Amino acid sequence: MAPKQEFKTTAMFKQLMSQYYAQGVEARRKNIPVAWVTAVFPVEILYAAEVFPYYPENFGALAAARKIAHDLSELAEAKGYFYDLCGYARCGIGDAYAQEHPVGEIERPDIIFCCNTQCGSLPKWFEAASRFYNAPYFLLDAPLIEDAWEEQVKKYFIKQLEEMIDFLEQSTGKAFDYNRLVRVLDLSNEACRLWNEILDTAALKPAPFGFFDACFHMAPIVTWRGTEEAVTYYRALKEELDERIKKGIYAIPNERYKIYWDHIPVWPRLRWFADLFAEHGALVVVSQYTHSWAYNFDPSNPLESLADNYLKSFVNRSFDKRIDLKINFMKKYNVDGFVLFSNRSCKPNAFGLYDKSNVIKNVTGLPGVVFEADMSDLRFFSEEQVRSKIEVFVEQLKER
Amino acid sequence: MTANALVKQFYDVVNNPGNAPREWQKQQGGRVIGWLKTDVPEELIHAAGFLPYGIVGGKTKFSRVDAHLQSWACSLMRSCLGIALNDELNFLDGLIIPHTCDTTRMVSGIWRQIHLLPYMENFFLPRQVDRASSKMFMLAELMRLKESLEVYSGSAITEENLRNSIALYNENRGLMRLLFAMHEKTPGLISCRDLYTVVRASMMMPKETHSHLLEQLLQALRIQNNVYQGRDKVRVIISGPVWEPPELMDIIDSKGTVVGDDLLTGFRYIASDVNTEEEPLAALAERQLNRIPFACFDSTQNPRRQFLVNLVRQKQAKGVIFLHLKFCEPENYDYYDHKLALEKAGIPSTRIETEVGGVSVEQMRTRIEAFFEMLGGI
Repeated sequence: MAPKQEFKTTAMFKQLMSQYYAQGVEARRKNIPVAWVTAVFPVEILYAAEVFPYYPENFGALAAARKIAHDLSELAEAKGYFYDLCGYARCGIGDAYAQEHPVGEIERPDIIFCCNTQCGSLPKWFEAASRFYNAPYFLLDAPLIEDAWEEQVKKYFIKQLEEMIDFLEQSTGKAFDYNRLVRVLDLSNEACRLWNEILDTAALKPAPFGFFDACFHMAPIVTWRGTEEAVTYYRALKEELDERIKKGIYAIPNERYKIYWDHIPVWPRLRWFADLFAEHGALVVVSQYTHSWAYNFDPSNPLESLADNYLKSFVNRSFDKRIDLKINFMKKYNVDGFVLFSNRSCKPNAFGLYDKSNVIKNVTGLPGVVFEADMSDLRFFSEEQVRSKIEVFVEQLKER
Repeated sequence: MTANALVKQFYDVVNNPGNAPREWQKQQGGRVIGWLKTDVPEELIHAAGFLPYGIVGGKTKFSRVDAHLQSWACSLMRSCLGIALNDELNFLDGLIIPHTCDTTRMVSGIWRQIHLLPYMENFFLPRQVDRASSKMFMLAELMRLKESLEVYSGSAITEENLRNSIALYNENRGLMRLLFAMHEKTPGLISCRDLYTVVRASMMMPKETHSHLLEQLLQALRIQNNVYQGRDKVRVIISGPVWEPPELMDIIDSKGTVVGDDLLTGFRYIASDVNTEEEPLAALAERQLNRIPFACFDSTQNPRRQFLVNLVRQKQAKGVIFLHLKFCEPENYDYYDHKLALEKAGIPSTRIETEVGGVSVEQMRTRIEAFFEMLGGI
């Protein structure tokens, strides 16, 4: 395969992310509190409070992508944290006990925030971390949302946002500035809008950008969302993509099939999967994972709007709703088939996939496959099994 | 009747799940609402005129579940769904699934998809319990569940009915606590397996019948009270979600005795009553917030560590056996802290990985026996 043409923004990406990590150290020097946060968390409130938000999940993904997740995990396992736990948590806990830090040391928190929209693993991990680092801990609780009890859950969430702002004021000793929150929400909106425009280019055929590119370029929408930096970065990436479309530079040569992927990548095998699909002219174009950051806030109604956006993250929706969301993506991107990743590290995304796969096949008539692995730990990756499953799936694509 | 004959009746209920609710249906013509572990407010179900039935997994092979739930899901949920797929739960008219962990949260959708019952509900517990909002949500959720049950039953749950149900449940819990207290004082009187079978049976049969049998059992045991004391038995605490497989209780019985636990199918189920002085829903909410902490419902400070240390001291136990279901994430996240707290207090502990249904007990036997031998020397 011809080597892929690097994005020009890659240099900017690297600079932006090293700036992000440097901020942790910088924050400590300036006496700015370092806060741990989860990926689907109303971080806009923290940016407005001038607290530095650090994403331990991002650390987990980084360790996984660098293929050292199992080394860190073994340190956690030695303490009695079993390898049945979430891979990110094992990386984070392992690094806390590590003498050596091959991907840099996980940032020590002064204060810990967690929203359990995504899962029940994060709150347990962060809770353990709050004891280990002796840092105050705030859990933003998000019960599963369905239309029938939406109002009740929303009321509960908004009440907790108020409690969280009180907690922040106490921890920082500063009054919370709602005007600043409005500015941060505007910046978040703009970054999310650009990010989704970028993702949408994958619907073009052929596409200049696919899911595996999105996995790489998504770090700023997670970590820098709510700042000028994120807006500047995604503006540049969008411009570059427009340019590529004009010049006819595409994600893969000879794109024949578009694939829906659910949901996170197998980080240490990202490239392996991308190449395996590319060999057959298949491009993964969409996933609920990379589309999680599609927020649209109403700055005139900040707390309610934060509740609406964060509670309704796909992972916090009912079984049926999640199937609908997947099928909508499949239609929007006009895919030829779907791949569902049964991720050992992520029960809320993996459990139910067998039945969901059947329902989706019945409704859409598309071929699909479910495979088992772990998003970070290669001890659970059977290359032969996965390859043969994907190859059978590709044959089905060709037969259509 | 002798204590042995009475105990046998509880075993009959547990060994023939479905018999008691089917009998009740035949006699009362009512509907049975199942609940998965744990913390579902049965008093509300009962007050709506339904029979609450606790689904605690089963013994049968449940290979049909493989098509719906991964092999690395906890065996308790796999077993519960598995027996439903085997038509062993076809006496159920409804089901309430509490969202206590990621697995229960996902199983609720799967169950609805493949095995829809006339009535299916979720029960949402707040995951933070220290702030005012948790009480607010708890109460709102109990009101929602009450209304949902009313819609299904077609009539209102009156305050009087709810108070009566609460009184019935309080009475039953009180009787079981008496049995635990007797066992703790004279551990030779009734085996651990018998004791915990009584608790398990109470989830699977009408409380009225259970209390009636239990009163007779308590009376019979009082008469036997002087026969055998068993005070020299090595005393341990057990901690975890469930005591599965049941044979592990026999192993413990052969080496020592349990004098305290925090199990969902043990003392935690009966430890706290509902305050009858207060407005019933508020009282149910308060009871929930005051329950013995477990991995899926406690303060973020992990009070369970201290709870276990205190329990060991208060009950003069020699050690703690953790009975952890394989793949149970919430328990596993807390385990290191628990172990550390016990170590600091000088309390020995061991962790046994358990599974529901079709598991070999021989490995457990070796581990449990070795632990007791070690404790015996202390």
